[in-house]
Amino acid sequence: MTSVVTLGRGPLLLAGSGPELGEHRRRWGPLARFSATELVARCRALDLRGRGGAGFPLADKLGAVARGRGRPVVVVNLSEGEPASHKDVTLARTSPHLLLDGAVATARAVGARQVHLVTGPQGVAELEQAVGQREERLRFTFHRAADLFVAGQSAAVLELVAGRPNLPVTTWQPSAHSGLRGRPTLLSNAETFAVAGVLATAGPEAVLRHGTPLEPGTTLLSLDGDGPPATRQVVEVAHGTRWGAVLPPSRLDAPVLLGGYHGTWAPAGALHDLPVSRRALAGAGLTLGAGVVLPSDGRCAVRRTAELLDYLASQSARRSGPCLNGLPALASAFREVVDGRPRLDEVRRLAGRVDGRGACAHPDGTARLVRSLLVACPDAVDGHVEGRCCR
Amino acid sequence: MRTLKVDWPACRARGLCFEVLPEVVRLDDWGYPVVEGPVTDDLLGSAREAVRMCPQLALRLVKG
Repeated sequence: MTSVVTLGRGPLLLAGSGPELGEHRRRWGPLARFSATELVARCRALDLRGRGGAGFPLADKLGAVARGRGRPVVVVNLSEGEPASHKDVTLARTSPHLLLDGAVATARAVGARQVHLVTGPQGVAELEQAVGQREERLRFTFHRAADLFVAGQSAAVLELVAGRPNLPVTTWQPSAHSGLRGRPTLLSNAETFAVAGVLATAGPEAVLRHGTPLEPGTTLLSLDGDGPPATRQVVEVAHGTRWGAVLPPSRLDAPVLLGGYHGTWAPAGALHDLPVSRRALAGAGLTLGAGVVLPSDGRCAVRRTAELLDYLASQSARRSGPCLNGLPALASAFREVVDGRPRLDEVRRLAGRVDGRGACAHPDGTARLVRSLLVACPDAVDGHVEGRCCR
Repeated sequence: MRTLKVDWPACRARGLCFEVLPEVVRLDDWGYPVVEGPVTDDLLGSAREAVRMCPQLALRLVKG
């Protein structure tokens, strides 16, 4: 089943009704109560994975939090530090009660009394309004993330909630075991909670109506999210949808950056034969990340990557040496390639110098971006080294 | 088997880990440690010393 609907409408998660609780209940039905064991089983049956980019199974996280010592807390992350990502704010405006239902169902299941909602710097009025209508005996607290690419990274989010600067720190244990003030912490992306909200209201059948047997349900995509505002779209598509139903064929003929600035370049034409599926994309060495999809806007992928590297270098939290020194060095070596100098070996060496050497995945993601370009567009890169832009 | 983990925001490239444990630690272009491979049992003593010596307390030995 294919369904592509632009901006704020969709077959499941974006079929919302805004911040009116009565309207939401009429559409989705009452919120059921689950034990941790029941909710884990339901999430496992749907193979529900985190939608913040890492794709960690929610069932595992829930189980770890439920087994943890101390009273758990729930943290809903919709901060979207990446400029090209708009899916979570769209979701929170369209279906705020759906993600709140997910947060409430998981909080009840693990015995949490406190739900933290972390938005971007602007906040989300519809979500604040929706929280005002809730009747559960839970404390909802809003936080606004800093305007920084790495602000939405999970450890940085927990720092913000704890009242410290919204920057990544080294974590020695998963937050599900020991997160906020050492408590078991269920932190996931807003879209993940919204899927849990569907499970806890309409039930798994509503999710299973979409997608494939291996990957039930839908996923949200931000298309052209860093282009002119008029071109930006958030769409909800069923897993298994052909990319040809998401983007016009002409745009699939050019390289597409999947998974955003920390993502991977899909070679020109590669997406013609691939579905919107984390599994299928992973098999092709590609990542969907948090659903940021950046098709070509007419600029060459090599130049675009150079711009992204400059931006990512500027977005280092400036606290980790390899990131602080390595990203600008990588960006500048890549600029030399773009300008026709044979510095590809240096680019590869510097990518290896930053990879895995930060408190968060910012250096790793940046290395992934540049390496994926070298794999996806070798001719365009060689063209630049030989002094010809591919365009 | 243990692994040496660096607390990157805490590390200030003082380089003592390299002096104490050159078998596992190299230094990069900017003097920050590059951890190469796990800490084998014969190096455990030196690795513990490196953790103790770090002026920033930016090193930990973790299992695995």
